[in-house]
Amino acid sequence: MRIDYRIDRPVSLHAAFEVEGFTVLLGASGEGKSLLLQAIAGLTPALGEPFGGMPPQHRAVGYLPQGYALFPHLNAWQNVAFALHGPQRRTQAMQLLERVHMAEFADRYPATLSGGQQQRVALARALARRPQLLLLDEPTSALDPVTRDDVVAELIGEVHEFGIPTLAVSHDPHLAAVADRLVLMHERRIIQIGAPGAVYATPVNGAAARLLGHRNVHRGRIEGARRLVWQGSAIVLPIDAGDEVSGDVDWSIDPAAIRLVNARDALPDAIPASMEVRQVIGHSVQLGVRCGQGRLWVSMPADQAIPESMAVQLPVEAIRWWKRESA
Amino acid sequence: MLGLSSQPTMAVDMNLVALKPRLPAVISVLTLLLVCAPFIGLAVATSWHNFGFANGDGSAIAVSLCYSTLALILIIALGTPLAWWLARHRIRGAWLIDALLLLALLTPPLALGLLLASLYGPYGPAGGLLERAGLVLTNSGPAFVMAQFYSALPYYVIAARAAFEGVPRELEQIALTLGHSPWRSFVHVSLPLARLGLAAAIALAWVRALGEFGAVLIVAYYPQGIPVKLWVNLENIGLSAVYPLLWVFFLVAMPLPLILGLAARRRHLI
Repeated sequence: MRIDYRIDRPVSLHAAFEVEGFTVLLGASGEGKSLLLQAIAGLTPALGEPFGGMPPQHRAVGYLPQGYALFPHLNAWQNVAFALHGPQRRTQAMQLLERVHMAEFADRYPATLSGGQQQRVALARALARRPQLLLLDEPTSALDPVTRDDVVAELIGEVHEFGIPTLAVSHDPHLAAVADRLVLMHERRIIQIGAPGAVYATPVNGAAARLLGHRNVHRGRIEGARRLVWQGSAIVLPIDAGDEVSGDVDWSIDPAAIRLVNARDALPDAIPASMEVRQVIGHSVQLGVRCGQGRLWVSMPADQAIPESMAVQLPVEAIRWWKRESA
Repeated sequence: MLGLSSQPTMAVDMNLVALKPRLPAVISVLTLLLVCAPFIGLAVATSWHNFGFANGDGSAIAVSLCYSTLALILIIALGTPLAWWLARHRIRGAWLIDALLLLALLTPPLALGLLLASLYGPYGPAGGLLERAGLVLTNSGPAFVMAQFYSALPYYVIAARAAFEGVPRELEQIALTLGHSPWRSFVHVSLPLARLGLAAAIALAWVRALGEFGAVLIVAYYPQGIPVKLWVNLENIGLSAVYPLLWVFFLVAMPLPLILGLAARRRHLI
């Protein structure tokens, strides 16, 4: 389903993209992502398609705001039955609750349910309206970090099962990673659209890389060919710039590509570093090391020894850079 | 030495801890006693052996109950939309509306009666027109209802507005996205979620309307409701004729706010 919306107030925003399966619109806070969902749901003045000009009660959308907005005075099945009519509404509500595996909580009030359970009830309530489009606002923000991945897996499984195109807006790269389609928004513009794998592999610029949660995205400057200046002129990295280019850039390097070496070996192009934090992730370790004013993340196997006085080497071929657009 | 010197401090701390919850309780009891005092006095002063009613007390009770009910219905019918609108719309010059409501609250009842009389009285600009249309707003049932309406409406609107402001706007919007019309969203979401505050607003309006004396005295000396009849009884007979009617006043005025408060609280709002 194609979304094309233009909002003037309170912020000016134009977004046009295709929603397929579970689509995530990834953007930083304050980009107006929630506003876009409200506009599609008809809750804020905007121009666009689909549903343009219709009052909210006539738009076939299922809208799950941040925090899910269950009715506190109704229990789970009454919340789901809110959009239903006729003598069968309780039965239908129970069927929907069963589909989201919440039937046993039918008589519970929202305040007694966990974040993930509330989300499933809200999903069932939105589905009761038979929407053509599901809108999820920051679906992971109210979830417990320990169970988040399971809750998200369940949510996406259900969305696929119901077969309704879903647009989730989020600033959470973890959610973006599980999308069928990823749309990146920066400074109120769509900057990249594609499958998550492709977008992750080739972000269009530094802002996109930061949104995707890439570590080691820094500002720098390219002076002449083959020289990247980072932190003023404190650290100069050789890069493979090809043609003569000069100017401000964003550059980045994969944490796994950085080599940790012993500073005493006095290797060429080694940047002295000191360790700040050691983060164990499964069988690998991410080290946060300080180089001057900046921080680099280095990924390495958990059993690799860390030299006492360390330095890092950044292989030229692993550095990516994007020219910064002068604002 | 160390152990000894630390003990007095401990004792002081213990005293503070013990004192803290006791102080509010003592003040609460004192305040309640102050509130109770006049009624204890009333119970003592009432001559229970010669408990009897003055002429016309019965009709005063009927007048008060009937017209207050009418006034309350009017207040709810006209005040609720206004309260909801004020709670939901941010408009320029909203402070003017606030000032207007405050003005209505501040006007002393006697002065309110005088203002109403000069507007709706037989020589007032609106009164003359309405009289030609058959609606007499001096010393009549409608006049009685009008005086109560004017004196209780601002209390209701202010309390009901606060009640609606407590309803998350998002829940009303969600009701719309679930296919409900704004009216159904109001009935099924705004009203139930505001019910505690609305019940308090209705109770407040009822108490204000039923107990209104000053404004009613000016525009509707007749038909006599309980507050005016209390005054008449005092003037014509004395205190002995006031107390029995006052007991009945409590008896008829109390149930509605009491039941409203209990009912609104009983339906749990987890």
